[in-house]
Amino acid sequence: MKLTDYVAPEHVKIDLEGGNKEEIIEELVSLLVETSDVSDADVIYEAVMKREREGSTGLEKGVAIPHAKSDAVKGLSVVIGVSREGVDFEAQDGKPSHLFFLMVAPTSESGPHVQAIAKIVKMIKLDKFRKKLIEAKKPADVVDAIARVENGEGEEI
Amino acid sequence: MTNEVKPISKALLYVDGSESSITAAQYAIVLSKKYGFSLKAIYVVNDTLLTELLGAKVFVKMEKMDYERDLEEDGKRYLNYVVKLGERKGVKVQTALRKGIVHEEISREVEESECSLLIQGELGEVLSLRDSFYEEGERILRKVSCAVLVVKNKKNVDWLYDSI
Repeated sequence: MKLTDYVAPEHVKIDLEGGNKEEIIEELVSLLVETSDVSDADVIYEAVMKREREGSTGLEKGVAIPHAKSDAVKGLSVVIGVSREGVDFEAQDGKPSHLFFLMVAPTSESGPHVQAIAKIVKMIKLDKFRKKLIEAKKPADVVDAIARVENGEGEEI
Repeated sequence: MTNEVKPISKALLYVDGSESSITAAQYAIVLSKKYGFSLKAIYVVNDTLLTELLGAKVFVKMEKMDYERDLEEDGKRYLNYVVKLGERKGVKVQTALRKGIVHEEISREVEESECSLLIQGELGEVLSLRDSFYEEGERILRKVSCAVLVVKNKKNVDWLYDSI
């Protein structure tokens, strides 16, 4: 599976405004509602927050992958947010999170969901890739960076 | 009297639910019908991947178990679909659903079912040269003891499948 099949510039927000986990997730869910086929924003917000209460999806190195399964989406839906200041997302290393990949999939699409999460986990191990995303000036820069890594240019990016 | 040499008596088809693996399934059915070998389709619940995501703390324990069940259901659905693709062309497709490290389970199935050919879809994209060593399709290529056929060109395969 290719992440770029699911992510276009309209699915990316640079300069997130939220100052805490709840606000960031709310902002990302709003973006998801604007750009994807979503039937109920509140249901998605609750599903993502429920998952966060079970354990934070804030990983190391400034990346968080909030996610949930919900039949309020028709297919695997992804939005990406960038916060230059960083937000406390209860990350594993205790540092602020800058990159947020919100992923929601219906219960019948767990395969692509797992593959997409695994792919992001792989991608964010590339230091240059993370830096490129955090320093992105416009949404298209984020999509372009993802496309380049997916095309095997992970070392040159 | 001479015994006829049959290079392929049984082939294993690796299905992971991707579009390319469904194309591989169509091609495998075409070949099975044309050359008369038996066909078995396999899906492997990628337990390693789920464990890795648990280890990376992307998943919590309950969530991992939940996804494991979902993937098992996905696997059954994909295999049933391949069986139906075969039925449409009068080809019987056996199935196997395994759980574990994908390339190891495929290799085990090849040995246990005595398959002389493995058929799979196009290899997945790699993020970097280092990543290529961990790409499942490539690991399968290196691990299995039989010949491997990598199916490409969906358009041509669609035409072949429709024409038999």
